[in-house]
Amino acid sequence: MVVFEIGSIGLFPTERRAMSGIVAYGTYIPKYRLRVSSIAQMWGKDPREIERGLHIVEKAVPGFDEDAVTMGIEAGKKAIDMAEIESAELQSVYFGSESRPYAVKPSSTTVAQYLGVGNNYFTADLEFACKAATAGMQVTVGLLGSKTIKYGLVIGSDAAQSKPHDALEYTAASSACAYILGNNKNEIIASILEMSSFSSDTPDFWRRDGARYPSHFGRFTGEPAYFTHIIQESKNLLAKSKLRPSDFAFCVFHMPNGKFPRAVAKKLGFTDEQLAASLIVDKIGNPYSASSLMGLASVLDVSKPKQKIFFVSYGSGAGSDGFIFETTEEILKKQKKAMPVLKQIEDKIYISYSEYLRHTHTI
Amino acid sequence: MTTSPVKLWRRQKNVASLIGKKGKILQWTIIRVPVKSFVDSAPYSVVIVKVQNGENMIGQLVDWQKEDLKVGQEVVCVLRRLPTEEKEDVIYYNIKFKPL
Amino acid sequence: MKISILGTATTKFGELWNVSPRTLAREAMINALNASGLKASQIGALFVGNMLSGILGNQANLGSLLVEELGVAIPAFRIEGACASGGLALHNAINSIKAGQYKTVLVLGIEKMTDHSQDEIANALMAAGSDEERMAGATFPGLYALMAQAYMQKYKVTEEDLAAVSVKNHYHGTLNPKAQFQFPVTIADVMKSSKIADPLKLLDCSPISDGAAAVVIGNETSSKKVKKEVFIVASEVATDSLGLHARKSFTSLAAVVEAGEKAYKKAGLKPKDINVAEIHDCFSISEVIAVEDLGFSKKGEGALDIARNKRTLFKGDIICNPSGGLKACGHPVGATGIKQIVEIVEQLRGEAGKRQVEKAKIGLTHNVGGSGAVAAIHILRI
Repeated sequence: MVVFEIGSIGLFPTERRAMSGIVAYGTYIPKYRLRVSSIAQMWGKDPREIERGLHIVEKAVPGFDEDAVTMGIEAGKKAIDMAEIESAELQSVYFGSESRPYAVKPSSTTVAQYLGVGNNYFTADLEFACKAATAGMQVTVGLLGSKTIKYGLVIGSDAAQSKPHDALEYTAASSACAYILGNNKNEIIASILEMSSFSSDTPDFWRRDGARYPSHFGRFTGEPAYFTHIIQESKNLLAKSKLRPSDFAFCVFHMPNGKFPRAVAKKLGFTDEQLAASLIVDKIGNPYSASSLMGLASVLDVSKPKQKIFFVSYGSGAGSDGFIFETTEEILKKQKKAMPVLKQIEDKIYISYSEYLRHTHTI
Repeated sequence: MTTSPVKLWRRQKNVASLIGKKGKILQWTIIRVPVKSFVDSAPYSVVIVKVQNGENMIGQLVDWQKEDLKVGQEVVCVLRRLPTEEKEDVIYYNIKFKPL
Repeated sequence: MKISILGTATTKFGELWNVSPRTLAREAMINALNASGLKASQIGALFVGNMLSGILGNQANLGSLLVEELGVAIPAFRIEGACASGGLALHNAINSIKAGQYKTVLVLGIEKMTDHSQDEIANALMAAGSDEERMAGATFPGLYALMAQAYMQKYKVTEEDLAAVSVKNHYHGTLNPKAQFQFPVTIADVMKSSKIADPLKLLDCSPISDGAAAVVIGNETSSKKVKKEVFIVASEVATDSLGLHARKSFTSLAAVVEAGEKAYKKAGLKPKDINVAEIHDCFSISEVIAVEDLGFSKKGEGALDIARNKRTLFKGDIICNPSGGLKACGHPVGATGIKQIVEIVEQLRGEAGKRQVEKAKIGLTHNVGGSGAVAAIHILRI
């Protein structure tokens, strides 16, 4: 149940002026798709039951030679192209993923090297399950706010692995998103009006060092994990900003499946229309660190100037990062440079379950 | 296939400069009996591509369907991961070609 | 100074499980020496052509190892140029005699491949290619397949046309007791065989083989009036880019054209003067391209000429690969270049038995390294 802020003076932004914002974005969805029905058939389950329950039809699968790094580079390149800056102008690179190729050795530097960022940048790999990259955005906003940097690159990328026959197999997917944040008003396409975060130590989903596949505790991942953190963070964000759900044109939530974001949006008082543009999970599954950011990109692909976007990510373990964005006039020009998320979703080749096992190096 | 981290490091600048460059397929084949290091990937397509700046390159074609295997097909250079023989080996990334 | 062949020998080629590399070498060297009537102590130096000993067997320093087998401590050299190692070893041996350094030289080509797995061998052979080719996962069949594609598209030739090379060479192989394969194959057999790299199939490709071949060569003053004396009248080498992708053409090997032209010029001969040739048919397409590069056939007609038996024993004009070539006789990589010489010598001397080319007076050997990075051409006459 959602409690509206009574006496909220509503539509005007807070006193603090928005300084930083999104300057550009890039997304990459690998070409291959595995239908949920193919997985269900493999394990003798009813495909329609699964599709209905999870609200997912198919998921994005990487080529056998793709990983979080290669996909991150694809997304990063598109963001740099949209920003129309030299890659050497990027002064921070944060890479969020739970499928980094190395346990020890930064992927952020590999991505930066191949994008031509040079050597003078703040950087690290971040891990916080599916919210690693949004945490990276917070760090970047800090660097921007203190005027330490002019432009920062944040990438969320995952080539998610799931154990065959496990429930996660239907949703664990692969994609990458890249965001360039900056301070220059003339370049920002979506200002960051507000941000906050809500975390606790909640072991709903984890992967031990050296373990190939993650573990999760079934229904514990729902109410006490996903819903509690998103709802609490959302309440904080609304309170802080003194805004109401109806003030927003769009809302974006982390999408572990098609059911959860729809449920949490409803719980918070958002409508189907507000949520619709971000719901990419139905067609590509859950690409973990790229999930909420892909939803955001999908919204940015179609938004008009001066629209507010309510955004809350979720990472197991657990926590939620909330942002309130407001699009600017600049968005129309830069939108034209994007490879729309919907277009990439439709650019696909279906593969069989056994091909999927090859692509994910299971056999 | 050698996996020297030094060699990987030396190649980076050159490889980075090729990402995103366009080209055309000059010739193609499908390797069905692979070398040891690519055993898991077979069958795969190897192509000779004339890249934008005029030089020829040899590499794998990725994300292709049968109709892409033709002389003159436009491609773009992408970065992809190469298989490692040992779990402890450093990971190589190399240029491959994707049909446009 | 004329370079004369004093003696030749070759071992059987094939999967010689019971035969060690040392035994192989000894057999070829001793038999060649016996044929020359010379003792090991009368040999000035040993030149060895071999590609894989270091890569597969971790054995370098092959020269020293092999003179141990000879039982004499003479100067010994290993020369390597991928599959052209044999031809290059001979070229260097000839030069050492012409330079006056040695009077009589023993040249051995040897390769022992079957001690290792198919995977290891395929990997090792790619040492003949470039780094880019290795990183692309290219294989030798793959590289020649690219050439076959280009050739077929340019000259409107079919896979059946290419298959004629294997058919011819297997036919010749049935007449060669030293050949690895002594059974015939048909076009249908080739077409049915499994694909290795499109469009090349298993029967378009030469096999993995063990084998050794040796020749003793000398200048005129050292040859004891050998009856039916055969002379090497040209020995030429040329190179081209290591990687296939950098070549100017995928339907012609510039290194072969250049070395061939130099050889013809040196010998004062033209392509049509050649009666018999041993061609480096590592793949069916290789022989097709070779006969054009060497001037036996017009450009674009190589495959058709072969299909029409113009290169076939007893039927053609310039007979190619009477030994069965690499396809049927086998391809122990470093040995091939020398085996080719041995075959031509036997042909010119009229000692080729059932596969004798009638009135063979002038012969040519064509030995290629990698996908055409190096070529060694020799012309011999009696």
